[in-house]
Amino acid sequence: MSASSIKRDKGFSYRLYCLLLYGYPAQFRRMYACEMARTFCDSYRDTVRQHGRSGVLRLWSIVLYDLSVSLFIEHLSAFKAWLKQLLAIEERHGKTYMSLTNIVFAQRTDTGLKRQSNEDSVISILPEDQQVMASKGVLFVVADGMGGHARGEVASQLAVNTIRDVYYQQESDDLATSLRLAMEQVNARIYNKNMSESPQPEPDKMMGTTCVAAVVQGDTLYVANVGDSRAYIVRNGQAQQISLDHSVVAKQLREGLITKEQAINHPERNKIYRCLGVHDVVEVDTFTEKVQAGDLLLLCTDGLSELVAEEEFVGIVQQYEPQESVQRLIERANEMGGRDNITAVVARVA
Amino acid sequence: MKNTPRKAEDMLPLTPAVLHILLALADGERHGYSIMREVTQRTGGQVKMGPGTLYGSIKRMLADGLIEEADERPDPALDDERRRYYRLTNFGLRVMRVEVQRLQQIVRLAQSKQVMGGSEAIGGLS
Repeated sequence: MSASSIKRDKGFSYRLYCLLLYGYPAQFRRMYACEMARTFCDSYRDTVRQHGRSGVLRLWSIVLYDLSVSLFIEHLSAFKAWLKQLLAIEERHGKTYMSLTNIVFAQRTDTGLKRQSNEDSVISILPEDQQVMASKGVLFVVADGMGGHARGEVASQLAVNTIRDVYYQQESDDLATSLRLAMEQVNARIYNKNMSESPQPEPDKMMGTTCVAAVVQGDTLYVANVGDSRAYIVRNGQAQQISLDHSVVAKQLREGLITKEQAINHPERNKIYRCLGVHDVVEVDTFTEKVQAGDLLLLCTDGLSELVAEEEFVGIVQQYEPQESVQRLIERANEMGGRDNITAVVARVA
Repeated sequence: MKNTPRKAEDMLPLTPAVLHILLALADGERHGYSIMREVTQRTGGQVKMGPGTLYGSIKRMLADGLIEEADERPDPALDDERRRYYRLTNFGLRVMRVEVQRLQQIVRLAQSKQVMGGSEAIGGLS
């Protein structure tokens, strides 16, 4: 048997196997197809080395059997995950609502591909009480926690829950101020928790969180933020960022110290100079905007905004319903590497 | 959630593939193909794990915290391509131990009933 025919057979087998890999669910394929193809190549090489050409047939019989069994298992597990989400058993991972004031929204959070756990938190609140709905509106909160040993998760969860409780308990009609007060309350609670655990903690050992909160009440959008999680309005194919990034790079960009191109690949682009829970007082930025029918609201953590370009997410949220949009946004961020936790809320004002 | 403490016993019984992968990783980090080769060699070719079963199990084991990704680097014995390495977590080690204990109990039970020895033949497949 000539070396060239072995090589040709190997090329053929490899291409055939790569083709067969398309049978697996997309998410599984994205994570493991490369490794699987490489493993196949390695097996092929060792089989030919040990058993010659006759081994190839045996290898293929093992591989085809393995493929049929595992294809079934992976599709079943993908189906189960889908069903679970549909039934909202895992409440943190996906919800859709239709409200009486014509706002359709969905939220979703994902660990991404590189992190061990999800430190992001998200909450969407549609008040059942019509009076509360009329006066306070719909609330969306996204938070990106940080701090070792799962404490980032504690901080971000505390943030979304505190904002929900404090915001709806405010008696004032000034909704922007209510949001700001809620944010300050979050800051105090996390800060106190840090202090109660260690009287003089080092700043980088403390837990903290970014937070962006948005309220849609009537035709007005109120946004409050600390950190680099974002709120956008997408209108007529254009995205407008409402929140202000408290990241070192964004600040330098605003001050004209660096260019937009330099900002994109800046080594310190993840560094934020303001977050909740690390200092006893915090400055919260608030914004008020008018919204109109057809506007889309997007709230997200940097796991999304870092990886999915503006024109791309605009395309997605305009083309699909919120439920499908959040799913596609997260899939897209994972396709781009999924190096951080990813969270998105999409709301359509109708 | 991921941070709730879990008992190793809750993970039992393990599928044969998962147990073999845990055993293959017991003496250090390995990449996918190295796990596959180790399993085939150690079982004298009785267990042949294909890439689909291997990576499907790896995916679930990562999610259950039995193993974790080490880093990506080339295998000096193979070629220059980078491979993803996996290693046991402490939880994975505990799970493997309790599973092996469980299997030992079954073996002891079988021995006590003398199903392995004796002059009478036991009906079987071959």
